[in-house]
Amino acid sequence: MKEIVVISGKGGTGKTSLTASFAVLGGQNLVVADCDVDAADMHLLLEPDFAHGEDFFSGELAVIDQAKCSACGQCEDVCRFDAIDMIEGCYSVDEIGCEGCGYCARVCPDEAITNVKQNVGQWYRSAIRTGTTMIHAQLKVGADNSGKLVAKVKKMATEVAGNEGKYWILVDGSPGVGCPVISSLSGASLAVLVTEPTVSGLHDLRRVHQLVKMFRIKSGCVINKADLNSDVRRDLHRFLKEEGIPVLAEIPYNEQFTAAVTNGKTIVEWDADLEQLVRGCWEKVTQLADDR
Amino acid sequence: MKLIFTTQGTDWESSMDPRFGRTQFFFVYDEESEEIQTHDNTTIENEAHGAGPKTAQKLSGFGAQVLITGNGPGRNAATVLQTTGTKIYVGAGDMTVQEAYNAYKNGNLTKFGEV
Repeated sequence: MKEIVVISGKGGTGKTSLTASFAVLGGQNLVVADCDVDAADMHLLLEPDFAHGEDFFSGELAVIDQAKCSACGQCEDVCRFDAIDMIEGCYSVDEIGCEGCGYCARVCPDEAITNVKQNVGQWYRSAIRTGTTMIHAQLKVGADNSGKLVAKVKKMATEVAGNEGKYWILVDGSPGVGCPVISSLSGASLAVLVTEPTVSGLHDLRRVHQLVKMFRIKSGCVINKADLNSDVRRDLHRFLKEEGIPVLAEIPYNEQFTAAVTNGKTIVEWDADLEQLVRGCWEKVTQLADDR
Repeated sequence: MKLIFTTQGTDWESSMDPRFGRTQFFFVYDEESEEIQTHDNTTIENEAHGAGPKTAQKLSGFGAQVLITGNGPGRNAATVLQTTGTKIYVGAGDMTVQEAYNAYKNGNLTKFGEV
């Protein structure tokens, strides 16, 4: 079983369009794990059936028992997140502002405040239209992705791959360089770095590559919108060469990316030229992931 | 020398866990006394953030001089481990504990931070 994780650092580079295309090309021989849970949108392209869903709990939230509260206001005074306000004569907790630190509960002389585990969303095991399984999640408004949720999604995907005898786990990785993306990367056979020749594209590629390098994970790069800026493209190539990162594909700017998404299709199902490019890229990805 | 492995099980034939922060078990081996000690770390699943530093803190309680793992710790966890002076060897993520130990003895594992 091998795990391919697609990450980008910068948003809007085409990471999910590419990952969903890989899912189509890989077909039944892979399990899809959508770990980009903050703004999950693979489901728009792969049509999961949401067959099995479970609540997901993460972090804590302060709850005030109004029967015990004497309205002394100490909780409001100590809250560093300004998440406690007097509303209509009662102190109440702003669910989005509260970080669950527990300071209010500590100082409350009436012992009226308790921290409760927060239901932040659901994770799902779905059949998708490519004839395989996808593990994905949906967070409630204001909830954030975490290493915990990513670890859960990946664990379920690994279980499914084991049970169903799938060879590949294809992970749509989390953005940035923090906890969720570290969790996305751990245990990966290959990291596919999707970038574009823009200043922020290159900047974020460097950052995310630092992480990949630190974890000694093999990587390859896809340059999307490759003809956007020839100067930065040259810088990109120089950086990739210095770091010994192979270029898996260069995809010229193509408005068919947007057209495909608008029509609920992946780019490989929508445009013959893109299909050819991305198919070649997927072959390189699987070869590189299989190399020891 | 006391060594600590990140593992998915509790014996020599168990697979290593490539993850540091969210490793399922610790497998501690004392070369002098040949004693084995294991620790269940699965409650780390409940931590939303900061799994690495928490695991590093827990690990420091075992007094091992050497850590053998897969990908290696993230930057925050590495800082914790540095202060405790733990030597870190990586690249054993696909091995069993026994294979990882042999690879370490034969000098086939990479020291963390050296490429």
